[in-house]
Amino acid sequence: MTLAAQRPQLPFTRPNLLELAPFYEVLRREAPIAPVTTPAGDPAWLATRYAEVRQLLGDKRFGRSHPEPEQAARISLAGIQDGPSGSYDSEAAEHARMRRLLTPAFSAKRMRALSGHVQELVDGYVDEMLAEHDAGGGQVDLHAHLAFPLPVAVICRLLGVPEADGEYFRSLSDRMATYSGQDAQDARIEFGRYMAGLAEAKRADPGEDVITDLVRAQAEEEDFGYEEMVRLCVGLLFAGHETTVNRIGLGTLFLMTRRDQWESLAADPDGRIDAVVEEMMRMGAPGDLGLLRYAHEDVEIGGATIERGDAVILSINAANRDDTVFSDAEDFDPDRTERGHVGFGHGPHFCIGASLARTELRAVFTTLARRIPQLRMAVEMDELDIRTDHITGGVRSLPVAW
Amino acid sequence: MKVEVDQDACVGSGQCLLTAPDVFDQRDEDAIVELLDAEPPAAQHQVVRHAATGCPAAAITVHEH
Ligand code: HEM
Ligand code: SF4
Repeated sequence: MTLAAQRPQLPFTRPNLLELAPFYEVLRREAPIAPVTTPAGDPAWLATRYAEVRQLLGDKRFGRSHPEPEQAARISLAGIQDGPSGSYDSEAAEHARMRRLLTPAFSAKRMRALSGHVQELVDGYVDEMLAEHDAGGGQVDLHAHLAFPLPVAVICRLLGVPEADGEYFRSLSDRMATYSGQDAQDARIEFGRYMAGLAEAKRADPGEDVITDLVRAQAEEEDFGYEEMVRLCVGLLFAGHETTVNRIGLGTLFLMTRRDQWESLAADPDGRIDAVVEEMMRMGAPGDLGLLRYAHEDVEIGGATIERGDAVILSINAANRDDTVFSDAEDFDPDRTERGHVGFGHGPHFCIGASLARTELRAVFTTLARRIPQLRMAVEMDELDIRTDHITGGVRSLPVAW
Repeated sequence: MKVEVDQDACVGSGQCLLTAPDVFDQRDEDAIVELLDAEPPAAQHQVVRHAATGCPAAAITVHEH
């Protein structure tokens, strides 16, 4: 039977958190643009090969909105990336505004200026890990002590969100990204209400932060709707911590299961860190779906005809392990010479927080390598508490020892 | 080597100045790329090529020779 007739249903079962489903290898080779069934049961295309994924990410004939949203394929039962977003007519203008308003606030230069503050935070969390280790049984939860609090503290400061709300918006984010249908939608609505409340507090009492800037811009720009502003704020707070928390956890697992890589990082943290972080960005593969687009025109690509309105899921996880581009692609090898992973996306939607995420990842792993070189996992990979039925997956705790 | 940047295509990712800080900068107000050195010295050529291939907006053009 051909792949087209099968329409395999996502997600494909993966052996563990660090490896992908072997089926991606088959798809890359035989059907780089494959007809699949979404977790919600609708038809979509799945792109798995590097060349096509990169090309599609840069192609302006695709967007996040849908010409007829009620006809659009549904993707999953989560509260985000579940279907089309934004309006077909105004998507381009709204996206341009978002980039214009947000990009400067997260520029590489600003993030470099922030790195001292990030380092202080990391040192504080590692102090606590060391104290907890000495006081208790020698086992510490790296997720609760470092991977979670750091990105939350940093994004709270940049956005002007009270850090004390961290647990609250974390649980909303968690629910919103879980394939639970109604509860995910409820969480998204509650998140919006929470953000609107925060926005109003900023209007009354402005701060020097991104939410204050967005509230101001919304008041000044006639076609900048209130709902759009709230959606932006929710998106930022979500993207600003969820992804990074996850990547710190995955990065730790990659290094702890490859002792030689950890030891060479510990031997030369400053010299090795950039390459190690890029390899974490290439190999880290949270979640089992991919980036979502809808075709705004008919497009021929990779032997397939994608019709206007069709959903396309772009597996950046699979693209980043395409062995026609990255030699021995399944090996975690910071010394590889190939560049250009798509872990932060590519093209017009390229991650706005890339410099921030890199700053955090660098501070975390140089500090751990320097201060706790004996670090090791305290449980086996298959004992980890993993979030299933969740857009980005990831662990709930990460017990380590030294 | 001659380098050109397309400021209209640039999406402000900051990738290029991380790769080749002596050749690229970002404007403070909108994070759009600025070219510091359109004819960089030979020692910079390799990182400039990396910056061009790594640019998510294909906004950097390198003319060899
Ligand atoms: C390691 C951590 C991170 C990873 C792996 C990551 C990954 C990504 C990816 C793959 C995209 C492209 C989405 C698409 O094309 O549909 C993206 C977009 C985005 N990211 Fe990140 N991100 C990270 C951290 C952050 C942080 C810290 C922020 C906070 C500012 C952030 C904010 C955004 C925003 C606002 C977009 C949308 C850009 C657009 O649509 O133009 N990200 N991210
Ligand atoms: S890498 Fe490309 S998109 Fe990013 S700032 Fe430089 S020129 Fe602009």
